[in-house]
Amino acid sequence: MTTTQMPTAASHKRVDVPKKPARRRREGAAWVFLSPWVLGACVLTLLPMAVSLYLSFTDYDLFNSPNWVGLRNYTQMFTEDPRYWRSVVATLTYVVIAVPLQLGLALVVALALKNMRRGRAFYRSAFYAPSLLGASMSIALVWRAIFNDGGTVDNLFGTGGWVNKPGWALIAVALLTVWQFGAPMVIFLAGLQQIPGELYEAAEVDGASRRRQFLSITVPMLSPVIFFNLVLQTIQAFQVFTPAFAVSAGKGGPADSTLFYTLYLYDRGFVASHMGYASAMAWVLLIVIGAVTAVLFRTSRSWVFYASEGDR
Amino acid sequence: MTITTSTPAAGKPLAWRRVALHAACLAALLVMLYPLAWLLATSLKPASEVIASLDLLPSKLEWSNYETALEGVNDVSVTRLLTNSLLIAGGAVIGNVLSCSLAAYAFARLRFRFRGPLFAFMIATIMLPHHAVLIPQYIIFNQLGMVNTYWPLILPKFLATEAFFVFLVVQFMRGLPRELEEAARIDGCGPFRSFFSVILPLTRPALITTAIFTFIWTWNDFFTQLIYLFSPEKFTLTLALRSFVDASSTSAFGPMFAMSVIALLPIVLFFLAFQRFLVEGMANSGIKG
Amino acid sequence: MATALALCAVLAGCSGGDGSSSAGGKVVLRYTWWGNPDRAARTQEAVDLFEKENPGIEVQTSFSGYDAYKQKLATQAAGGDAPDVMQLDYRMIDQYASGGVLMDFAKQQGTLDTGEFDKGLLATGKVDGKQYAIPQARGTETVVYDTEQWKATGVPLPRDGWTWSEWADAMRALAEKTGKPGATDPGQSEDAFEVWLRGQGKALYTKDRKLGFTADDLARWWTFTDKLRREGAVSSAEQTTQIDGTVENTPLGRGTATADTNWDAPSSGFLALIPDGVTLAPMPSGEDGTPGQYFKPSMFMGVAADTSNPKESVRLVDFMLNDPEAAKILGATRGIPVNETLRDAIAPGLKDFDRTVYDFQASLEGRLDAPPQAPPSGDSALQTTFQRDYDQVSYERMSPREAAENYITEAKAELRS
Repeated sequence: MTTTQMPTAASHKRVDVPKKPARRRREGAAWVFLSPWVLGACVLTLLPMAVSLYLSFTDYDLFNSPNWVGLRNYTQMFTEDPRYWRSVVATLTYVVIAVPLQLGLALVVALALKNMRRGRAFYRSAFYAPSLLGASMSIALVWRAIFNDGGTVDNLFGTGGWVNKPGWALIAVALLTVWQFGAPMVIFLAGLQQIPGELYEAAEVDGASRRRQFLSITVPMLSPVIFFNLVLQTIQAFQVFTPAFAVSAGKGGPADSTLFYTLYLYDRGFVASHMGYASAMAWVLLIVIGAVTAVLFRTSRSWVFYASEGDR
Repeated sequence: MTITTSTPAAGKPLAWRRVALHAACLAALLVMLYPLAWLLATSLKPASEVIASLDLLPSKLEWSNYETALEGVNDVSVTRLLTNSLLIAGGAVIGNVLSCSLAAYAFARLRFRFRGPLFAFMIATIMLPHHAVLIPQYIIFNQLGMVNTYWPLILPKFLATEAFFVFLVVQFMRGLPRELEEAARIDGCGPFRSFFSVILPLTRPALITTAIFTFIWTWNDFFTQLIYLFSPEKFTLTLALRSFVDASSTSAFGPMFAMSVIALLPIVLFFLAFQRFLVEGMANSGIKG
Repeated sequence: MATALALCAVLAGCSGGDGSSSAGGKVVLRYTWWGNPDRAARTQEAVDLFEKENPGIEVQTSFSGYDAYKQKLATQAAGGDAPDVMQLDYRMIDQYASGGVLMDFAKQQGTLDTGEFDKGLLATGKVDGKQYAIPQARGTETVVYDTEQWKATGVPLPRDGWTWSEWADAMRALAEKTGKPGATDPGQSEDAFEVWLRGQGKALYTKDRKLGFTADDLARWWTFTDKLRREGAVSSAEQTTQIDGTVENTPLGRGTATADTNWDAPSSGFLALIPDGVTLAPMPSGEDGTPGQYFKPSMFMGVAADTSNPKESVRLVDFMLNDPEAAKILGATRGIPVNETLRDAIAPGLKDFDRTVYDFQASLEGRLDAPPQAPPSGDSALQTTFQRDYDQVSYERMSPREAAENYITEAKAELRS
């Protein structure tokens, strides 16, 4: 890409590799920095994860001791549960709709605000305002009122209600997520703030057009943050729960159209008490998300630029 | 977007663009803020209109919704609920900013064995739906005697369990030029000094972002609070708000909306107070790249 | 790994710490229930009275909305941390009892007096002959309607002992006169289906916890409701899907229907929405007059099997159910009390809708069959499955027959596991 034109001192000379004792000391220092994380990861994360993996091979029902059933939960999921596949389709549709829309909107707004001299703080706060709410019960009720028969959307576009039609309910839920684009927007803004102003000044002196500046400075310098948002929003979209849970009152309706993966998982685990089955569902999801994320990381090598790693 | 190369010197087209930009932003805001207006309006609707009415404005202003909400729930005052919420959210902010920046520094800028696999594991921890680990986690906190205290809500933040923020800070730290520490090292700074005096100040936008999100998300985290808190005097605003609605008996939607608005105020203030710091990043902190 | 094994051991219910403790020489009990702030206030008042009469016991109370409560209790129970005294739903009993969460009340004989309880109702808290839960109050289903609106149409009002076909005719007539559906489509409700089924002398579940009906029965029910829906006599799929358990979101609550089927006590919520008032009518019977509805315990009280203070816990249960003063405070906040003496004692003091519900239940007294035993564990899952499968019918993606066959398959799998 255009990274070679970066006017940074990226092509500096590396300082000599430090001698061995120093390196060992630095390794020790790393573990000191990591120690809270290691403790938390072992006790609060790894342990529960290991238990849930074990449970995924059992018939655990919350109340009785788990019995080993081998791969039964997994085979049942793939071969005997049409509702499972409906939830997979709904989730994939949601990911494909919500992630690009939300990220695109967040990026466009962040870029628009970046060059604004007056009122930036006002706009930033106002655009963030919807994200303050989360998917609370009250916002779900508001959403249902707006997207209902005779609601605002119906009145404006004459489409009828959305939340109560199988094909449309998913879009209404996705719009709730997109509407709350504040988090990625703030992260984009923070990333834009971190780009040294000198780069633009230097480019200005060189007579680079704004388009050129955008492509050779903004995009590469922002790429770690774009990458972060892409990875995290994708992971979160695969696990979408609260907006659908709130808007459909926990049912994933109408006609299972917003019965997203984690909603169904919750339903199996806590409503039907098939926690073994729910654990198996969770691990399948982990593997799928892991694969998608691995692909994203792999592609990142060709488009994400880290100043700390110079021009690779 | 811009086909013509307009330099800042050419005044007129730029002014036009600015007006157009503001107009576009305002139009977008109108759409965006409409549901919030609905929320506000609903909090003043009489009971019969809260759900059934499809009009934005209430037929008459029902201030009693706020009166009911301000009475608190189950003998617990709103002040108490507010204090509890602030305590939890405040503790979570301190915990996350501290622990996540520490871990992120190690991942982003130090070399150690198993860095790659450990980083991958950290990312993997956010891929497992939390419902699957809820019960084992509950058992751990129960064994530690921490159920019905604020520890299960705050302690995990001090142990950097939220990989989202570790990863966020990592991305920002990786964006800083390597020379910074090398220069510091030549000046005789160890990793700790260069972390505190060189890297941390430069990662401020990411840390402020972490603080803002942690505060808001912890504030709104109904689920964890529900599971771990038992005594009503330990309840938070978010929990109390839900207790106005019960499917098996009569619900009080009006007061619930009023309570939503009340619960919204602190996070609005927090956001307004902290978002100002987002502006001050590397761009104007005088660092030479 | 050792810790992981220890965790599994806890999952198996081997340990779980001691849930309750004693603070300052006092026995501390934890008591949880679901409900709204009004119920919370009244319960707290009753509990305060209990503490006053039992100076050695301190009761910590906690409540939340039903859905939240259900999940919280399940997590606590799975974590070996169930509260000492808990409020339970009909559908939870089998699961919690067979999972070893609940204590058999026989272990604390003499502390709890059930002499004033209807034997049939009391039996609903039994699993395998052991009394794991005590019914606290009873409710029954009703056809609730907007009084003025129905009267204005001139359609004959519901009468005692009306049948499902009379009900259907009334819905058609209402729809014709008002231009909107007569009632909520009952096809999505497992409860309504149960009433219909009992009207034919059948039951949802057999005594040995198997399915009590066939795909033919269900297909007939769904064909019946589906036809009414197509005619516009009951609510459309788009309207029905918005039901979330609150009265506000039912077609009647939104003003898009004249009647609804609901439980009697929760119907009080309609009063705020329909200023002219609502009337409670009995549920339709089978064509030969067999009543389908029954007095169902609306809530139970249970005691944790691993409580360290079983005697005190049972004493609290006894107080909440049998104490005349407590009954006066509690009124009908959990429904009409099961204790027959107390029921009569509080009757004169009942006001407003509580009175309506009391009178409605009194009008049915002695005419209904005994309630079935608590449904098997799988039922809490099947309740949602029922509604999801009917969604496929009402959105016209499956025929009633197909959906019924689906449901039977799913139900059999659920009850086997």
